[in-house]
Amino acid sequence: MSTIAITGAGIVSAIGVGKSATLAALRSVASGIGPRRYLHSTHDEFPLGEVKLSDSEMKQRLGITAEPTTRTALMGMLAMDEALDQARLLRGADGARVALISGTTVGGMDKSERYYLDFLAGDSRNAYIDTHDCGATTQMIADRYGFFTLATSISTACSSAANAFVLGANLLRAGMADIAVVGGSECLSKFHLNGFNSLMILDREPCRPFDATRAGLNLGEGAAYLVLETEETALRRGATPLATLSGYGNACDAFHQTATSPEGNGAFLAMSKALKMARLKPADIDYVNAHGTATPNNDATESQALIRLFGKELPPVSSTKGMTGHTTSASGSVEATICLLALQEQLVPVNCGFGGNAMPDGIRPATDPVPPRKLRHVMCNSFGFGGNDTSLIISKL
Amino acid sequence: MTERPIYITAATHISMQQPLDEQWLTEPILHTEPYVRSIDPNFRQWLNPLEARRMGKILKRALVTASEAMTRSGINNPDAIITGTGLGCIENTELILEALCRDGEQTLKPTYFMQSTHNTISSLIAIHHRCHGYNSTYSHRGVSFDAALLDAFVQLSLGDIATALVTGNDELTPSYFNILKRLGYVGNPRQVPAGEASAAIMLATEPGDNPLCRLEQCRLSYGTPPLDTLPRDVDTVMLGINGHDANDELYRQIATLYPDATLLRYKHIFGESYTASALGVYAAAAIVNAGVIPAAMSLDGKASSAAAPRRLLVVNHSDSRCLSFTLLSKP
Amino acid sequence: MEQLVEELKKNIIEVLNLEDLQPDDIDAAAPLFGEGLGLDSIDALELIVMMEKNYGIKIKDPAEGKEIFKSIDAMAEYVAAHRTK
Repeated sequence: MSTIAITGAGIVSAIGVGKSATLAALRSVASGIGPRRYLHSTHDEFPLGEVKLSDSEMKQRLGITAEPTTRTALMGMLAMDEALDQARLLRGADGARVALISGTTVGGMDKSERYYLDFLAGDSRNAYIDTHDCGATTQMIADRYGFFTLATSISTACSSAANAFVLGANLLRAGMADIAVVGGSECLSKFHLNGFNSLMILDREPCRPFDATRAGLNLGEGAAYLVLETEETALRRGATPLATLSGYGNACDAFHQTATSPEGNGAFLAMSKALKMARLKPADIDYVNAHGTATPNNDATESQALIRLFGKELPPVSSTKGMTGHTTSASGSVEATICLLALQEQLVPVNCGFGGNAMPDGIRPATDPVPPRKLRHVMCNSFGFGGNDTSLIISKL
Repeated sequence: MTERPIYITAATHISMQQPLDEQWLTEPILHTEPYVRSIDPNFRQWLNPLEARRMGKILKRALVTASEAMTRSGINNPDAIITGTGLGCIENTELILEALCRDGEQTLKPTYFMQSTHNTISSLIAIHHRCHGYNSTYSHRGVSFDAALLDAFVQLSLGDIATALVTGNDELTPSYFNILKRLGYVGNPRQVPAGEASAAIMLATEPGDNPLCRLEQCRLSYGTPPLDTLPRDVDTVMLGINGHDANDELYRQIATLYPDATLLRYKHIFGESYTASALGVYAAAAIVNAGVIPAAMSLDGKASSAAAPRRLLVVNHSDSRCLSFTLLSKP
Repeated sequence: MEQLVEELKKNIIEVLNLEDLQPDDIDAAAPLFGEGLGLDSIDALELIVMMEKNYGIKIKDPAEGKEIFKSIDAMAEYVAAHRTK
């Protein structure tokens, strides 16, 4: 199989717009989680990881005035511009077959939840009805560029963006696309803020992944896309490979819709599959960006799966959700981009929010940004409701 | 990519036709109302009440069509379970939206939220049957099922997996019917009924005892429809014509590419929905397997005299921008 | 108290969609979770919502619910002592 290269990445999250702002925040451990500012909600008790731009500020940056738009689509376009620019695709694809695989669950919900009663009554806000579904958001993003020959949307809750890598890379391996742009976008919505609240898994304080005192997650929002292509295609186009996608694994915990099995079976299987595909041993992994939502359930079971897989050879592990918040459907690509930066800069993103109280049976997350050994292979975990678990491995060239 | 034959070893449906059988081949129910809900089987045969108490209709149907496809194919632990759904569990989603809009952000029922995400369907099937394999969900308008099928096709072709259960599921509430009607997608004069869809298709690289047909090709595209990529060496073409011009124009254009083929339509029998194509592929597989074409499906009245289809192409599009085709053949 | 027990049984059947059960089928002293009625963690969250809506009782920590929802009798006692409506 030919090597799958990553030739571009773009990211938007609570810790910044773009890779350099993100890297600066990672280095200075500047969390983007804070009081609600942009989301229309009465829940002021929950800190959020909001992207620090209003919809109209995003539109201004993007140079668009047209409606309808959704916040998910706008964030997606900001990230996409950066990814395509780096991969030398922003001016067009020169006839290459370019697939867009985008993960989202919220889609246009930010508008639906504002205008739903108007929809029912047949009022004038109808422009937003047709932007409700996941596919509409993906097409809005795709249509900004005009060259995508395939566009589809994955919705596996919090692992959506990670699963986009799987189809994207498979299309390249099967020769059914020349380039695959993969990732996801998800804005905050009242819908899922209240939904997570109903499951009683939101913390009223800044979240504390892998800490014994953790009491739930903080929701965030964001978007990130990565450009995948074979090394040959990259070479031919004059794009620069930044790293490789060396393995990926998707498995189902098959235990419960919202809780994970005590042993973290799905997580273990997903990581094992990714290692097998990359032909690596657990000891070859130099850093793991954990799913690490800071819910009591996730961090305990992910710890179990990590300990089971890595044993005594556990590399530095951290969750970056203490900085970005949980960007739900976008988290797979937001954190894959953070992994890419970690590899390029030889930096371990530290586990913001860990107060030094490790769980009795858990892993102790990384607090030192200096890697104990050279980072060559990094693993990125994303787990979704329903036990939709996916693990990616990104490697140095 | 090595060329491995891929077979459809079982296919099941719950729709506006008699559920879970092929009675429509000989006695299709031709509905005339603009909006028709699915004919449900007695779910108790498959689900115990304690387990079923939280499931909306879409989940019950999905679980039953999936379970039946597993039983009939003898594949009880597929390597992949992949679902396409345009709107996911829209009934629960609407209950939350309604509560949020009318009562404000008060305490929401956790069950509605837990079962409002699109991937609830695929993961429910996995949880029920304890399948730890690949599990994913596509939600992309009228080609949601087509994307799920493509995902399975690619993994089977690459040899990453040997079996895959692909499902298409959508429910349609009265309020969402009205919303879609206002958008002009359904409920137009002379248009086929808007409906609901649940179909499950088992794919395998081994034919098993009794495969329905082979799945030869599967493609999905975006943008200007690349009609030149449609396979031409086929004897039968099944189109998603639904009686509404905005939808039918592209199909009519495609029909002209096949002057010698038998042309079929299926949406007047199975209804229009975001995952109507799942029922289309199901019906096509059943037709290839049975070797007969129901007269009611003929687009031009020529079908009844046609020979049994050997190579049947199912073409589907969404907004004339997403084009998909699925090529089935007699094994 | 007896009236409250009956009321709770009816409420539970309704909010948890236990359509096959009659109030008389539920033993007020038997455990609701695990072996008894076979309820799970999501049902516990539903019951927390019900307690707030029907009786004005706020339960902040799902772990607290475990004790309160041990049986219908336990629930009735708790509701009688803490209800605000």
